[in-house]
Amino acid sequence: MSRSLRGQTAIIGTGRSQVGRVPGRSPLLLAADATRAALADAGLRKTDLDGVLACSALASPFHRFSVAFSEYLGIQPTFSNNLQVSGATAATLFNVAAAAIAGGLAETILVVGADSLLTGLTPDLALRSLTESRDQQYEMPFGIPVANTFAMTALRHMHEYGTTAEQLAMVAVIERAHAGRTPGAQMAAPITVGDVLNSGWVTTPYHKLDCSLISDGGAAFVVTSAERARALGVAKPVYILGGGECYTHEHIFLMPSLTTTGAVQSSAKAYAMAGCAPADIDVAGVYDCFTGTVIMMLEDLGFCPKGEGGRFVEDGQMTYGGAIPCNTHGGLLSFAHSGMPGSLFHFDEIVHQLRGECGERQVEGAELALVHSLGGGFATQATTILGTAATL
Amino acid sequence: MNPADALSKPLPAPDADSAALWAAMREGRLLLQHCLACGHVQYYQQGICRACGSDRLEHRAASGRGHVHSYSVVHRAPGPAFKADTPYAVLLVELDEGPRMISSLVDADPSAVEIDMRVELVFDQVTDQVTLPRFRPASGAA
Repeated sequence: MSRSLRGQTAIIGTGRSQVGRVPGRSPLLLAADATRAALADAGLRKTDLDGVLACSALASPFHRFSVAFSEYLGIQPTFSNNLQVSGATAATLFNVAAAAIAGGLAETILVVGADSLLTGLTPDLALRSLTESRDQQYEMPFGIPVANTFAMTALRHMHEYGTTAEQLAMVAVIERAHAGRTPGAQMAAPITVGDVLNSGWVTTPYHKLDCSLISDGGAAFVVTSAERARALGVAKPVYILGGGECYTHEHIFLMPSLTTTGAVQSSAKAYAMAGCAPADIDVAGVYDCFTGTVIMMLEDLGFCPKGEGGRFVEDGQMTYGGAIPCNTHGGLLSFAHSGMPGSLFHFDEIVHQLRGECGERQVEGAELALVHSLGGGFATQATTILGTAATL
Repeated sequence: MNPADALSKPLPAPDADSAALWAAMREGRLLLQHCLACGHVQYYQQGICRACGSDRLEHRAASGRGHVHSYSVVHRAPGPAFKADTPYAVLLVELDEGPRMISSLVDADPSAVEIDMRVELVFDQVTDQVTLPRFRPASGAA
């Protein structure tokens, strides 16, 4: 690869709003909460930002969320955009921020996203979110919620590889245990495999507790050039080492394989750019809209062979002491899922892990990390690899 | 969205690419696009072949036979319009001609669906204007 983002930029500030049920705060105000925390963390002022990259918010009327939020914050950036590739947007925000800084379009970019899906949606917007996300001619007339697209991939995975309902449930159990040690997590009470299997069907093979949460909340990050991070004397910059994306289809019936996804390609690009392999990764944030999603991603990201994701989870490999501790904050399943911003919480957790700030959640010796975001029934895939100064 | 609309199911609104598909559906034919340049067969209607880019596409009626590639039985409906139908089985059908399509099961208990189950096409006239392609277990199949 002749051109590379490796080590050219760093995350120097991270912050998030309160998450879960946060009534009375608009997406813009939740974004402002997160931005205030991220700027404080970076030791910068809002006037130090010259770029804003955002994902739009369902509960906000603004089509140009990044522009509306700049006005709300009282800044006039010289670089701004919204990205929209569903759940994969989070990782693309970091990939694009790194590229924009490396290419000279901006020096210090605020990456921000917030939404209030739990308390901020009118009934009309809530219904639209359910029915308008799939194709109106070829999919939605048959009553296919977005959950159904993920469910069909999971059933196929169970059919091809013998993955069990109990193995799916284990993902939820493990992530809930992680959330139990995360201050502010939306769901912290421990659950068992039996609790998941008895939580009622949503769409087979998924029960209620196999599904991610619906939340309010947002997160924000300050990304700048490695030179500026050094000039500012940032104690623990978290470097962006590699990024990759892949878009294999729009319609679920045109997904090339239901069990092997574009995460194979997106992560391969990211690993190549970062100059590392799956076995080198110390801690990961893996998009977890449903339990089966995690099992398939553990395979496609290269943490275990194809078809062995269920056993990998069952053997404790995605938690402390295992091969790759994942979603140590509790993920979309138990920490919070506010839509497109949901995967930004994985980044927030990973930044804290790489700075060694996670207390009882800390993964010992975490230097190299991967975050993978996806969306649209596995249509959109984006991977970002991050590391400490020691990994440069 | 008008609150009253929430109670009615979304229906396909044909566009320039799909008008022929939905018109033929009313006459009891499911049209597939066959590429005369490379032989690729596609269900999703578009002006060019996804495999080779040729615009030499010919409509041919599908046999209506296929099998279930995957499925999911919906217990929590996506909105009030589908609530009365739950539980219902959404199918990802692979037609014998190759293309896959989303549909739903009729004339059978949704809990009886299995991957690889043989199915056959049924034309379901849902309004004067719209006929939807649905599937039932193939006759002669278990």
